[in-house]
Amino acid sequence: MTADTIAIGRSGAPVRASGLRHVLTPAAIAVVLVALYAWVSTLELDSIERRSLNREVIVAKVVEHLQMTVAATALVVIIAVPLGIVASRSRNRFITPVILTAGNLGQAVPCIGLLVLATFVLGVGFQTALVGLVIYAVLPVLRNTMVGLQQIDPALVESARGMGMTKGQVLRRVELKLAVPAILAGLRTALVLTVGVATLGAFVAAGGLGELIINGLKLNRMPVTIVGGVLTACIAFFIDWLGSLAEKLLKPRGM
Amino acid sequence: MFDRDPAGVRIELRGLTKHYPGQPAPAVDNVNLDIPAGELVVFVGPSGCGKTTTMKMINRLVEPTSGEIRIGGEDVLNLHPDELRRHIGYAIQQVGLFPHLTVGENVALVPKLLGWPAAKVADRVEELLSLVNLEPGAYHDRYPRQLSGGQQQRVGVARALAADPPVMLMDEPFGATDPITREHLQSEFAKLQKKLRKTIIFVTHDFEEAITLGDRIAVLRERSHIAQYDTPANILAAPADDYVAGFIGQDATLKRLALLTVDDVPAVGPVPSSNGLPRVDAGTSLREALDTMVAHGSDRCATPSGVLTYTALCEAVGTDGAKTGHEEVAAGDR
Amino acid sequence: MTFGEYVVSRWGTLSLAAAEHALVVAIAIGIATVVGVGIGLLGFQAPKVRGASLALSAGILTIPSLALLTLLIPITGLGWGPTLVALTGYAFLPIIRNTVTGLDGVDAATVEAGRGMGLSAARVLLKVRLPLAWPLILTGVRVSAQMLIGIAAIAAYVDGPGLGTQIFEGLARLGSVNSLNATLAGTLGIVVIAVLFDAFFFAVRQLTTPRGLRVRP
Repeated sequence: MTADTIAIGRSGAPVRASGLRHVLTPAAIAVVLVALYAWVSTLELDSIERRSLNREVIVAKVVEHLQMTVAATALVVIIAVPLGIVASRSRNRFITPVILTAGNLGQAVPCIGLLVLATFVLGVGFQTALVGLVIYAVLPVLRNTMVGLQQIDPALVESARGMGMTKGQVLRRVELKLAVPAILAGLRTALVLTVGVATLGAFVAAGGLGELIINGLKLNRMPVTIVGGVLTACIAFFIDWLGSLAEKLLKPRGM
Repeated sequence: MFDRDPAGVRIELRGLTKHYPGQPAPAVDNVNLDIPAGELVVFVGPSGCGKTTTMKMINRLVEPTSGEIRIGGEDVLNLHPDELRRHIGYAIQQVGLFPHLTVGENVALVPKLLGWPAAKVADRVEELLSLVNLEPGAYHDRYPRQLSGGQQQRVGVARALAADPPVMLMDEPFGATDPITREHLQSEFAKLQKKLRKTIIFVTHDFEEAITLGDRIAVLRERSHIAQYDTPANILAAPADDYVAGFIGQDATLKRLALLTVDDVPAVGPVPSSNGLPRVDAGTSLREALDTMVAHGSDRCATPSGVLTYTALCEAVGTDGAKTGHEEVAAGDR
Repeated sequence: MTFGEYVVSRWGTLSLAAAEHALVVAIAIGIATVVGVGIGLLGFQAPKVRGASLALSAGILTIPSLALLTLLIPITGLGWGPTLVALTGYAFLPIIRNTVTGLDGVDAATVEAGRGMGLSAARVLLKVRLPLAWPLILTGVRVSAQMLIGIAAIAAYVDGPGLGTQIFEGLARLGSVNSLNATLAGTLGIVVIAVLFDAFFFAVRQLTTPRGLRVRP
């Protein structure tokens, strides 16, 4: 049960191939947001709903949500990319199947469980959510970095060594450049994942749009839940779209 | 880096051995070889015989277990491997062009590693692309994936030559191309080498290629043991043993004829006018001349300097063709 | 109460929750496999179907699970309804993608040989391409299953079945005696289910992969 899930980085390609998608996604997001706004403005909001569905609260929740997402992703990059590089070196190959299996099973570890368990150590709050998010998102990025580096044609590394590049030069000028698409694909996955998991931050009092979803359910005010849910989904689609743009722009030319 | 005499640098291998840990026998066992300056030496042998490992020890992509390698008198094992490799051209079958860099950037890599000034690098890239018959204006900014296999191989050769290294290591550099392209690349490369006179170690399993390109051939058997090391003509004329003979194949004599041209054989008789003899041009190989003779049912043909006879052909490769030749002609006359 | 004592004392509740957890994932995976492989077979030679199905299933996967589960409540109510719909929706992308990639990846010469000996296009698809693509398809199913097992934990928040109930119970009683035990039992139980599923798929893979693909040269 090891190395057969490697297709990750490449096989996602057909989905995002069309240029149309680059225009369609933001347009669709805008339409959904406008529709949401129009729908909410037709509603007769009671005082409880008004407490959540106003500009200040929504902006604050969106900002909290984005802060959580961005901070977690930044930490993930700092942790996972160097680890992925270390894991990809040939003397560390023995660890490859461990990471692949862990990456697979790690998907099954419930993030809500991780978050709640983290509260027993760290208490509730932003840092707790951050720790949970990072633990959850590290594996996909680590795995993609490692696989991306391992997938590089060994002939390229050999000719780089053969022409007298130092190991560091080979890594920086050849291997990392060629692994950029795979690493970016992993990052994009992690970002979208994090946006979703960040909704669970509300369960450990870390704020974010999850709060709207949960409060709506708790107080039996469906419009609040729907606004929270639709906004989160829109943010996820928007970030995925940004990721696809980044992949397109940062992919080395010639490939 | 290496002491170059006018002819280039020589390479000496002494007791060169590579024993991979955990293997019962060494992959390369006690190789002793002198490669004269400015010559192209071909390592030829079946796959797995250790020829590539032997070659890779010279630029230390494989570290020798024991033995000595001297390039231009300098002990390679005392040099820093990265520094060493920047002064040895290296071309491999998979070419290994970096897909994220343009053709120009690929060729410019080693000169840049060596810290050449930008202007000098740019000039050198232009010069090299022209040298391998790729129009610099058209190819400089293309990416490797936009090139055909043959064009990629040329860029690979240009890249290996980039910093003007006195020594080149080439591992089946034309192996991945179709036969027609390969023949074309081989003849171009042979011409290039005549001009450049680098000291080259060239690895192949294709004996024809070895004959075409090599100044000398080292026929290797397993563990890189040298079965024979000599010029192509000498190996064809006198294979050291059955192993070498097996490598040459059934048509050793034809291969030897292919190494000689009509200019190498003293022509007999006056320059024929138009007496109906088939004609061959100067520079034609004796193999082609023989082909022309057989095709015309004649035992002689006209060359620019005289008449080339079947007997002369036989004598050129050292067989006593005189008697049989006459008998056949006599039979043909009847 | 130690964790061991907790598990023993609540064994009935825990095993039921675990069984439900496995069941809801199994049903969702079953539906998604039948439909997903079907779409893959259809879409394999129709680029538009392929593109649309891949884009749609990628889109579903982009929607955060808590958002999708709660947004489904007005349509499906609480409980098994939103859980099954959401889980099935999430399972499609890996399955469809691997089906298409697997069918595509079959050596062109093998396919040509099949056509050359007179097999119809449909037969080549079912008798040649599908068996050869099967290991990759199975991998897609396995990846989906692992993902669903994790997501299913959140379903407990919309009154869905499964071990997520334990985690949310722990959360609700934060600070009480058994809150850590409940959370641990839920989380570890889900990991155990994941390992069992993985073992199951490993066995299925061994049993259903054509023998010629399993032997090593």
